[in-house]
Amino acid sequence: MSDPALELRNVSKYYGEFCAVNDLSLTVPTGSIYGFLGPNGAGKTTSLRMILDILRPTSGSIRILGVASALTVRHRIGYLPEEKGLYKKMKAWAVIAYFAGLKGLSAADARRRAFELLERYGLKDFAHARTEALSKGMGQKVQVLASIAHDPELVIFDEPFSGLDPVNQGVLEEIVTDLRARGRTVLFSTHVMQHAERLCDRLVIIGGGKRLFDGTLSEARQTVPHRVRLETEDDPSRLENVPGVSRLTSDGPGSWQVELSQGADPQCVLRACFECSIRLRSFNSAEPSLHEVFMKLVGPSAREASFR
Amino acid sequence: MRYIWLVGWREFFENARTKGFWLGILLFPVIILVSGTLPVLLAKKGVSTRHYLMIDQTGEYAPKVRAEMDRQRTTQVDGALRTFARRIPTPSPLAPFVTPGESNRPTSRFDLDGWKRHAGSNYATLPGFTPPRAAWLEVPVPVEIQGTNDIPAIETLLRPWLRGDRVLTASEASAAPKLFAAVIIPREYGASTNESASLRYWSENTADTGLRDSIQRLLGDELRRREYQSLGVDPSIIARVEARRAPITDLNPRKAEGEEKVGLADRLRQWVPSFFVYLLWISIFAVSQMLLNSVIEEKSNRIIEVLLSSVTPGELMLGKLLGIAMTGGVMLSSWLGSIIGMALVQSRFFAAPVGAGESISAVANLPSDLLSLFQSTWLLPAFALYFILGYIAYATIFLTVGSLCSTIKDAQNLMGPLMLVLMVPLFLMPFIPWDPNGPIATVFSWVPLYTPFIMMNRITASPPLFDVIGTGVLLIGFDILILWGCGKIFRLAILRTGQPPRIVELLRWIWNR
Repeated sequence: MSDPALELRNVSKYYGEFCAVNDLSLTVPTGSIYGFLGPNGAGKTTSLRMILDILRPTSGSIRILGVASALTVRHRIGYLPEEKGLYKKMKAWAVIAYFAGLKGLSAADARRRAFELLERYGLKDFAHARTEALSKGMGQKVQVLASIAHDPELVIFDEPFSGLDPVNQGVLEEIVTDLRARGRTVLFSTHVMQHAERLCDRLVIIGGGKRLFDGTLSEARQTVPHRVRLETEDDPSRLENVPGVSRLTSDGPGSWQVELSQGADPQCVLRACFECSIRLRSFNSAEPSLHEVFMKLVGPSAREASFR
Repeated sequence: MRYIWLVGWREFFENARTKGFWLGILLFPVIILVSGTLPVLLAKKGVSTRHYLMIDQTGEYAPKVRAEMDRQRTTQVDGALRTFARRIPTPSPLAPFVTPGESNRPTSRFDLDGWKRHAGSNYATLPGFTPPRAAWLEVPVPVEIQGTNDIPAIETLLRPWLRGDRVLTASEASAAPKLFAAVIIPREYGASTNESASLRYWSENTADTGLRDSIQRLLGDELRRREYQSLGVDPSIIARVEARRAPITDLNPRKAEGEEKVGLADRLRQWVPSFFVYLLWISIFAVSQMLLNSVIEEKSNRIIEVLLSSVTPGELMLGKLLGIAMTGGVMLSSWLGSIIGMALVQSRFFAAPVGAGESISAVANLPSDLLSLFQSTWLLPAFALYFILGYIAYATIFLTVGSLCSTIKDAQNLMGPLMLVLMVPLFLMPFIPWDPNGPIATVFSWVPLYTPFIMMNRITASPPLFDVIGTGVLLIGFDILILWGCGKIFRLAILRTGQPPRIVELLRWIWNR
């Protein structure tokens, strides 16, 4: 296996007394799509800025594309910040070409690449429009294209989906999967779990500056107990004694939630129902969603943080 | 270095694309041209002939006034004829009286008196020559008033004309002339000194006192002359006394021996630097303002983050400084170019005639004097140098202020005190030429923020070499210090949002890390 594209070891960042990022470690394998999840104020943007060496960590070390500072390999990195903005008076193609130029492309290559990308992702007609004339979504697409115009090995998107309509979210997902198809590494932060679920090979969840989870999607799902939903007129209380069932709660007349212990098979509940002659109107066993995982991991701290 | 250039170029093009930039470049020569030629044009065409009437109950003074007005008119026509004679092509009745210019004195001469003798009393009627409009024209007293002798009655009758309610009968200058002024000389004028015997000058316009002043001067001379005569002084002696003038020659010990005479060129030497200081101030202020706006735009748009993932804060800062310096440089060189260009054109084609009045030739020679001033002094190189050094200091400070603020409003709050500091050289500007090497000038020269302006102001007054080099070195050191300190602040401030930090915090930023 090749070296990881990015590796953070025990990285912390303090602003005076305030700890924005606390002892964060993570590894982003080359060629993967890596999700960076966390509630508002979790330290995502600070972490990304440290990864890009815009900010220096108070302690800990970062290795990016095999080196210690992103600045030395900045031509191989693409970055889309959370708050999007463009030079209002510049034309769409010129913005893309300018940023590509700052990433080391020659003027001619930068220009050619700008038009190529605008055409491929449906903005050809707006290439000569000033960015102030573009809609918010279009502007954001231009910015995404500007961040990948130099064909970077590692792309870092901070909240790339916010502000995009479903169609353009689709276009962006296409851009991300295109990048992976060409062996590029993508690290993106988001609040929207569906995107992470659809795209990510691996993900990290942070809250309050600390890492709460790091692993694959299925590993993430295993962090929350599997649930089975039953509908029956009979009394299911006997199920509580079945091995593998940790809790039984009612969530309405004739409707029950069965919480399973770690690693238990939902089939055991079904079997027990037959054995105890519990007549079922419905039996519903679904994997927990990333949303549930997220809510379980960061829910309490996020609520606290948002009212702080 | 490549990235500094890229950032700089973008900045330059962004500014060069704005209308304001081009308006600034184009408007400047237009303003210079207009302010240079408008007064002349106005004098020629703009002000229409003023009509006045004169009622002289003594019958003694009016002829004197008329003679004086005629003399003024003759001078005016002669001046126009001189200019005309030097410009017309050779086959002309004037040609024999024109001596072409030579290499040491490029102006051609026109022998006006010779021509007058040759052409006789009609010397001003020439094919192609239109005498300039008369400034003053006396009109006959309206018929309604003729025959009235009582002054209050005359004045009551005159009011409608003086107020412009009634117009006069057509004159040679106008179809329906308005009465500009009425001059009434009472019967007992000159006989006593009491108020009732004073000349009564009626006019709505109290600003244009040309006619009033001429009459007052003339009649003052006349009354004194009469007084002498009544005391029995010989008229020829009076004439001799009146002809006396108090001659003054201005000399400057710094000039070469034999050429100590002070002329307009020397006054230029003293005042042109002030103009350059003003230019320096405007340009530094304008470009620094651009820089401030551009940083705030990038900061409030959050473009800064993308930029900082591509370039270092240092590269960004230097790139922006460079880009705006190019903008300012282009603006300034086009301004200077247009001044020099206009001076060249003027001096080549419109040199003053020899024998014209001193003030006329002085004004007409201004462009060539200006050119020789540029050639003989360090004015232009000093200007370029002080622009660069002053620009670095001010622009870096403005840039840093921009990096500290998220909105223009925040920036304006911080700019207030800075603007006061920047105003000082403007306040000092008029005083420096009076005493260019005096204590005020010297002290302020050593304040690095003021060095460019004050030294620029002193540069043609041969300041001590110690001052020139010392303040220059100090300024360069100050620039380096500013770049270093502001670089540190810029680095930290540029990503910061919300309220600008306090001074203590800024100092900590400079000394830590």
